[in-house]
Amino acid sequence: MLSPSFHNDAAPPVNDPGHVVIVGAGIVGISAAFFLSRRGVQVTVLEAAAPAAGASGASDGAVSVASKRPGLMMQLGLAGIATYRALASGGVLAGEFRERPTFIVASNAAEAEVLAEHAAALAGAGVTVRLLARAEITGLLPMVSEEVVAVARVEGEGHAIGYRVVERLARAGRFTLRRSAPVDGFVRDKTGRVTAVSTGQGGLIAADAVLVAAGNGSERLLGLSGALIPRKGQLLLTERAAGRLGAPAGPLMSSRYLLSKGAAKGGPADAARSFGLVIDPLATGQFLIGGTREDGVTNTHNDLAAVRHILREAVTLMPDLARLRLLRAFSGIRTATVDRLPIVGAVPGAENLFVATGFEGDGICLGPFMGELVHRLICGEPAAVDINALSPARFTPRAA
Amino acid sequence: MTEWKSMDIDLLVVGGGPAGMAAAVEARQAGLQVLLVDQRERLGGAIYCQPDPGCAPVAMSARHRARWQALSREFAASGAAVEFHTSFAGLDSEGLALLERRASAGEAGRVLPVRARAVVLAVGAVERIAPLPGWELPGVMSAGGLQMMMKRRGAVPVGRTLLAGSGPLLLAVASQMVALGQPPVAIIERARPFGQPAELLKLLATPGYLREALAILARLHKARVPVLHATQLTSIRLAAGGGLEVECRGQGDERRFSVDRVALHDGIRPNDFGLPGGAATGGPVLSRAGDCREALGAVAAIEDGKRAGREAARMLGLKLPAMSLQPVKRERRAQAVLARLFSPALTTPPADLPDETVICRCENRTAGDLRGLLAGHDGLSAREVKLNGRFAMGSCQGRFCADATVDFLRRCGAGAEALEASHLTGRRWPVRPVGIATLLAEGGAAADPASVIRIEEE
Amino acid sequence: MSASFFFWRGEKLEFQPGQTVALALEAAGQRDFGPSATGLRQRYFCGIGACQGCLVRIDDTVVEACLRPVEAGIRVEPLVAGPSVDTDGGRHD
Repeated sequence: MLSPSFHNDAAPPVNDPGHVVIVGAGIVGISAAFFLSRRGVQVTVLEAAAPAAGASGASDGAVSVASKRPGLMMQLGLAGIATYRALASGGVLAGEFRERPTFIVASNAAEAEVLAEHAAALAGAGVTVRLLARAEITGLLPMVSEEVVAVARVEGEGHAIGYRVVERLARAGRFTLRRSAPVDGFVRDKTGRVTAVSTGQGGLIAADAVLVAAGNGSERLLGLSGALIPRKGQLLLTERAAGRLGAPAGPLMSSRYLLSKGAAKGGPADAARSFGLVIDPLATGQFLIGGTREDGVTNTHNDLAAVRHILREAVTLMPDLARLRLLRAFSGIRTATVDRLPIVGAVPGAENLFVATGFEGDGICLGPFMGELVHRLICGEPAAVDINALSPARFTPRAA
Repeated sequence: MTEWKSMDIDLLVVGGGPAGMAAAVEARQAGLQVLLVDQRERLGGAIYCQPDPGCAPVAMSARHRARWQALSREFAASGAAVEFHTSFAGLDSEGLALLERRASAGEAGRVLPVRARAVVLAVGAVERIAPLPGWELPGVMSAGGLQMMMKRRGAVPVGRTLLAGSGPLLLAVASQMVALGQPPVAIIERARPFGQPAELLKLLATPGYLREALAILARLHKARVPVLHATQLTSIRLAAGGGLEVECRGQGDERRFSVDRVALHDGIRPNDFGLPGGAATGGPVLSRAGDCREALGAVAAIEDGKRAGREAARMLGLKLPAMSLQPVKRERRAQAVLARLFSPALTTPPADLPDETVICRCENRTAGDLRGLLAGHDGLSAREVKLNGRFAMGSCQGRFCADATVDFLRRCGAGAEALEASHLTGRRWPVRPVGIATLLAEGGAAADPASVIRIEEE
Repeated sequence: MSASFFFWRGEKLEFQPGQTVALALEAAGQRDFGPSATGLRQRYFCGIGACQGCLVRIDDTVVEACLRPVEAGIRVEPLVAGPSVDTDGGRHD
């Protein structure tokens, strides 16, 4: 397991990477900027729109491995949670990380079977998980439907709101953040090294190292043709319940979500549009309810059919939700990859160009950890986890 | 009776005020099938709000009354179908207009998705309310809200009422209060409308306005209603006895009032929050009419409604001439004169608003919160103001804080010169919060008889 | 015509036909409609359903008191049940 001791690491790097330009002010880019600047490295973040304008600002905030299968993504997810814990106790994210269990809920025998198998896999990966007896369900989760037949309580999970993490780290870090500053390319020397970042209309910003953390926008910048898939998610937010109904101690995740994410055996739902269900009780008394997975869709619209589908399933699981009003419907566009692994590491052919993107629905969970990890790569230091499998080399980007 | 499947509607008109009614009349004359919906139980909107059963109507000028009577006659004869207690929840990305049939004791609410070929949004205006300490307290309402009470009940609510803010509506409401035998304690007007004689003279171009203004002023004068110009409220507090203690500041002097009710008003603006703009692919031809397009009052709303009704018919392929915008232009000029007359002589700079002043009532976000957000940030984006500041994020979805927030940011020189209220409120559905049970209540599928909107056959 | 009644916080109040809930409450001297979800008070304000300041509960659904006509026998309750509110007005998700 990753040591969380890094959070006190403010010592200047042995080899100062010079001026680091980070493309993208989402949770990954801002985290990297925070960790670099804390060690005295000069950082400029160039953001095409505004901080957290993409998926970081339109996501559920799950800091969770509950839906994961054992493997690299599980390992990274656990490191992500450990990072939040460290940053919360270390001060910079104090109050922004709420520890809480996740409840995975099965509504029929088939789902219960998948859930039991999944719980065993989680336990095998070292996650504390417990299947609740029906009587326990009633006592612990009186708000869930009578039809729920099995619940797995996953411990050691948490919640952080992406845009708040970005705001907190941006305030705590000492770096330059430029809004409305889209990047349209790089200037390279004969060896392939990036020497400057082009901001359009001839604007150039000299750079000694560059990190691209621009979500779906990374594809065009790095020539990662065909590697990334925009995956839209529609999300719904209720008004504040204001004490009118009981909230569970953590999110309720339908075990059908496991099938939707393809985490469990039984297969991925590869349809162009699929639905998962997570009912997330927020600190405000609101409920965040999601969502869809719509491949290749980049608009942020909401349609009645999807909204009704999500709400119908949510009310089936937690009937009292029907008494609340829907305050808002919105969408975020995840950055997924064709092989379901993020893309993190040095870009082949340019020793000072790095990328960190493709976290799909795990950006909030992994963002600070990946920011810490990639800041080490930029400083020429070893990463805490072996991330060779995430290298952009697997998509053989052309040396532009 | 004929049953209209939702697919069959030519034109959906949202809002039964003057603009919506006029649009429906015009579209019917062009031969379109029209469904008009209104969130209330009667036509008229805010401006022509009719009294509750058994209550007397408030005084209205003869011209004003004649216009309403003509419009309601034309509408009744037009054959447009009407659904009351039905509000517009938005237009989804597939082009479905979502109509919320509101709940009553005997019937649960439900959402009817309607596929119309054209939609005219005529949802009127909302008032601007400049925040000041205490504006959020019970007993404080908008002047339009007070006027709505009077129009419905034909009476002024009991107790001492103070009118404050800026704009001609304050005078109009005061005059109606006088006519109902219960004048306000005073009118506190930030501007100095009579300090610009050259502007006043321009009202001669619209004699109707001038006549109405003179009648109002004469009535207020006769009733000795104090009108304090160049004066503004600085705070409202709950008094020990249950009333309100109000402080105001004029030029050099301060005054206090003990009242039961304060009605605030700082102008009106289009109620265009969250409304859809361009048409969705395969969606209806979409337009706005009346005050929700440009807040120019009832006369312009009728003309603009006719234009929108005609335009909808033309967009649906009917060969008709476009309508002249001349009458709307005249109203625009008159409103511009009024706006200049009431251009406030002094306003509270954001720096003077105490930290505890509520800016966003829904989420209880204050001037202090906004200052904290600004600290250390240049060129804050609308998204950050929303997400990190929680402004324009509550139940009213920015209708009563987006303008004030943007005004505050602009005048604090936070690099927010280009920020506009619409950047905070966006375009979305639901345009107002809608019950989840209501949204799930089936009523939309064409096969479901409950979803069918019945319209009298011609 | 015989008087009609509805209930506000369990208390029987008279109303006139056609009145909205908000105006019936005002007429009965009830200006404070109870706590809001963020610790302020609910109350009549804009009169046109826009400001959401007059939200109350009827049949446990939330409605704008200024839009909803009163019907005999309905039970109107404050938006927030009991004295508790989310005190966390400044910390939001």
